[in-house]
Amino acid sequence: MNARLDPRTKLYMILIVSAVVMMSATTPLLWVVRIAMTMIPLILLVAEKRYASALRFTILYAIALVLTFCFLSEESTGIVQSLLIGYCGIAVQFLPALITAWYVVRTTKIDEFMSAMQRMHVPDGIAISLAVVMRFFPTIKEEYASITDAMKMRGIAFGGGRPSKMVEYRMIPLLFSCVNIGDELSAAAITRGLGGKVKRTSVEELRLHAFDWLLVLVFTAAAGIFVVFKYVL
Amino acid sequence: MSENFIKIEHVHFKYKGSEKGLLDDMSLTIPKGEVLLLTGASGSGKTTIIRLINGLIPHYYQGDMKGSVSVAGYDIVKTELYELAGVVGTVFQNPRSQFFSVDTDGEIVFGPENIGMDAGKIKARKKDIVSEMHIEKLMGRSLFELSGGEKQSIACASVAALLPEIILLDEPSSNLDQGAIGSLREVIRRWKEQGKTIIISEHRLWYLKDLVDHVIYMENGKIRHEWSGSEFASMDDEKVRSLQMRPLSVSDIMSPDFAGKENDIQIQEIQDGIVLKDFYFSYNKKPYLIRKKKFQENDEGLSLCILKLTLPKNAVIGVIGHNGTGKTTFLKCVCGLEKDCCGIIETDGKEYKGKERLKICYLVMQDVNHQLFTDSVEAEVLLSMEKEDKERCDQILSSLGILEFKEKHPMALSGGQKQRVAIASAIAADAKLMLFDEPTSGLDFCHMEKVSGLLKSLAAANNTVLVATHDPELIELCCDYVLCIENGRVGYLRKLKGDIKCF
Repeated sequence: MNARLDPRTKLYMILIVSAVVMMSATTPLLWVVRIAMTMIPLILLVAEKRYASALRFTILYAIALVLTFCFLSEESTGIVQSLLIGYCGIAVQFLPALITAWYVVRTTKIDEFMSAMQRMHVPDGIAISLAVVMRFFPTIKEEYASITDAMKMRGIAFGGGRPSKMVEYRMIPLLFSCVNIGDELSAAAITRGLGGKVKRTSVEELRLHAFDWLLVLVFTAAAGIFVVFKYVL
Repeated sequence: MSENFIKIEHVHFKYKGSEKGLLDDMSLTIPKGEVLLLTGASGSGKTTIIRLINGLIPHYYQGDMKGSVSVAGYDIVKTELYELAGVVGTVFQNPRSQFFSVDTDGEIVFGPENIGMDAGKIKARKKDIVSEMHIEKLMGRSLFELSGGEKQSIACASVAALLPEIILLDEPSSNLDQGAIGSLREVIRRWKEQGKTIIISEHRLWYLKDLVDHVIYMENGKIRHEWSGSEFASMDDEKVRSLQMRPLSVSDIMSPDFAGKENDIQIQEIQDGIVLKDFYFSYNKKPYLIRKKKFQENDEGLSLCILKLTLPKNAVIGVIGHNGTGKTTFLKCVCGLEKDCCGIIETDGKEYKGKERLKICYLVMQDVNHQLFTDSVEAEVLLSMEKEDKERCDQILSSLGILEFKEKHPMALSGGQKQRVAIASAIAADAKLMLFDEPTSGLDFCHMEKVSGLLKSLAAANNTVLVATHDPELIELCCDYVLCIENGRVGYLRKLKGDIKCF
């Protein structure tokens, strides 16, 4: 089966999951729905052969769930418990959105994304800016790694004794190089015709397959269940 | 029309915010099908000419411009940039910042998509370009995992995909090794055969010698000398040197036959050296859950594998090898930046393990912008000292000739000056083993000579300098030894003839 999803489906997934994580699950049924929704992007990550991140997310989420249900309750007291409640609360609540976003950013080609945006009649200005943001994630990661290396070498990875400097030392070179790269990147893109008046075409043929519709259905149903059980009944 | 395909007439140009004009009454006509080489020192206006022809000046980089530029019948000042996309193509210097996509296929079709070409046509064109440039094996990969040479191939292919009549290359070989330069040269030759007009701005001259029809030497925004291709190819070394150009032919100093095997140095020969032991490293980490696995000598897929290596002290050692063969990995492992590599450095009877290696080593990175953190040059140097000692800081700065910039922000300095600030902090940190990653990529000959002088003086001041480079010129200028890395293993360590130093 072709596991490649249409970028529009992916965006819809992000939308629904983000909405659902803002509503807390209170009954066992809602918990089941929520966990099922988290499983979907995890399975999709595995389908895209991203085993390491899938495993990491699964473990993180599983630990948070087990801790929440088995060891923590409203009567928990003590420092350890309260720290754990903090961690588990955040992880259980927001990890689904994080996993989905991670899956989308990691598996969507910029080209696909641009043509999906075009199909949805998003203005070029917004589509290009979002595409540049996606293009920039790996670059920021690379730059950040080099800067961390340089800081380690200077022995100032933790601000050289002054924690207030920690952020400054990291951010200043990062901003400088990102601004430079962004500038060169736009120049290069413009010389290759980006931003022209001509309607952009795309070699990626986007079609919503059966699998896309299935996922859209599942996610809509999940959102529906949440809304109905929490606010209507 | 064919006589003056590109016409630049009496152009004066000054970038916004800068005081000095960059181009001064520049006039130039380029006939169709010509291969033109622009050379000259950094800041002489080569890149400005490239930007005039592709329209980035005046549409993207703003400034005061007088005069007129016409390219293939378009008046640049009145033409929108996207209209030029199918006419002029540009390959930029830095492969890192000219890609819009994150995958190779997307990058090649990016240009044709922008000009609204039909999807079927784009696919056919992509297929043509890929087979023409022999890059089938690069398709379907992430751009971030390619080597410098492979990235530049993709950049050339993605420019060619728009079938421009005019192709501009702005210092395209800066980050390439000799092999990759060879393939770049093939690409340029093919374009020349197809009758494209090609303009190259470049410091490295040897690979273009037989390709160019016309050479322009620039100085301070003016054309200082002009030669035809054949005049240029037969120019004598003395003249080349007097014009501060990089040599037209390079010695085979990088080849394994140079200086002969008899000059190879065996480990036992060096008595009082810096010993590197047990450096193993791999990028393909095995997934682990609880404990990290240490790399072993006989692990598979090691990117670095050095059992024992003795480096001569107080010398400049050139580290050579192809793109992606492990030179940078070697440097990073030696100075302890790769945590998973647990080699030992032995010097003066002391052993340095793990993080201690960072204390005696200092790596000056290829992009020095990454290692400047503070708001003044002085603070930058003081940050590296265990105890702040302003007098010593002044001494170091003046020995490097940057004392006058003490109060300035490091980011406001030029590239060469930034490099010196980084070296100053290395000296301040009392590093005995100084590592340089490609310090001269993209530098003109004059600056290269300065860097080589600097490296020599560091070695004379009892430091051991390891310099990873693709520039045979630099090795010739300053290296006492060459260390060849092949697939992460030591190929050989060899003394260079004729330049034997007394210790």
